[in-house]
Amino acid sequence: METATKDPDASEVAAKSPSLRFAWRGSESWRGLKAALPMMLGFIPFALVLGSQAAQKGFSVAEVPLMTGLNFGGGSEFAAVQLWTSPPHLLLIVAITFLVNSRHLLMGAAFAPLIRHLPRRQAFTALFVMCDESWALGLADARRTGRLSMPYYFAMAFGFYICWVVFTTVGALAGPILGDVTRFGFDMAFPAVFLVMLAGMWKGPAAARPWLVSLVVAALTYVFIPGAWYVPAGALSGVLAAFVLARPA
Amino acid sequence: MIDPLNLATILAMAIVTYLTRVGGYLFLRNRTLSPRLTTVLESAPGCVLITIIAPQFVSGHPADLIALVITTIAATRLSLLPTVLVAIVSAGILRNLG
Repeated sequence: METATKDPDASEVAAKSPSLRFAWRGSESWRGLKAALPMMLGFIPFALVLGSQAAQKGFSVAEVPLMTGLNFGGGSEFAAVQLWTSPPHLLLIVAITFLVNSRHLLMGAAFAPLIRHLPRRQAFTALFVMCDESWALGLADARRTGRLSMPYYFAMAFGFYICWVVFTTVGALAGPILGDVTRFGFDMAFPAVFLVMLAGMWKGPAAARPWLVSLVVAALTYVFIPGAWYVPAGALSGVLAAFVLARPA
Repeated sequence: MIDPLNLATILAMAIVTYLTRVGGYLFLRNRTLSPRLTTVLESAPGCVLITIIAPQFVSGHPADLIALVITTIAATRLSLLPTVLVAIVSAGILRNLG
C-alpha cells in the first residue's frame, strides 16, 4: 500500500482502523479516481473511434498504443490519424500536433504555481499526464482545498491515461472486424467526433470567428489546390484571424 | 509490427506534445501573457480541428452534405455517442437514397 503510506489522510485513517481496504477507501488516491471515473467513461467512445480509424489507416495494433501512450493528446491524435498516409508526412503531422496542443502552453503556465514545490521529476511526470480533464479537475480541486493534492491528481490523471491507452488499443483490435467503414456511413463518425470536440470548445459566436475563417480558407484551398495544403492554409489563416480580431481596443 | 517511418512520426509528435506541456511551465510561469496572445492560443485548437474536416463540407455529394448538417446540429445538442450514431445513420440512409 504505497499510496496509503505516502498519503497523510490515508495513513491517519489507517492508524484508526486496522483495515487496509478502509484506508484505501478514505485515501486521496481513491478520491481522485472517483472524480475521474465519469470522464473516463466519456473517453471510451472517443478512444474506440480513434483506435479503429487508426487501424483503417494502416496503423498496426502496436503502433496505436505507442502513439496514444507517448503523445497522450486526443485532439492531436485524431488530427494525425485523419492526415495519416503511407508513408506519413512527418512535418505536416508534427506542425498540426503542435497547433492542436499549443493550448498546453497556457495550461502549463496556469498549473505552475501548484506544482512548483515538487521535486523536478515529479513535476515533469505531473505535466506528462496533464490533459484538458486532469488539468481542469486538478485546478478546481486546488481552488477548493488551497493546494493540489498529489495522490489525488496522480490517481485521476493516470486513470485517464490508462483508460485512453487501453481503449484506443481495443479500438485498433476491433477496427478490422468492422471492415470498410465508409460503407453504411461509418466514416461520418469522424467529422462527428470533431464537431463534438468543437462544440465543447464553443465560447460564443465572437470567439468562433477564426474557426469560420479556417473553414472557408481550408475548403477553398482543398477545392483548388491538390494535396494537403488546405491544412496549413486553413489552420494558419484562422490563427492569423484570431490575432487580428483580438487586437487591443 | 512497427514501421520505422510511422515510429519516427509518432516519436516526433510525442516530443512536440511534451514540449507544449513543459514549455508553459518552464517559460511562461513568470510572465503575464497579453490577452491577445491568450485569445490566439485559445482559438488555435478549434481552427485546426475545423480545418481538418473542411474537405467533408465540399465533397460534392449532396447526401454527405445533408448528413454533415444534421451531424452539426446533433453535435451542438447531444453528447458524443448519440451524435456519432446520428451521423452514421443519417449518412447511411441518405447515401442509399441517392
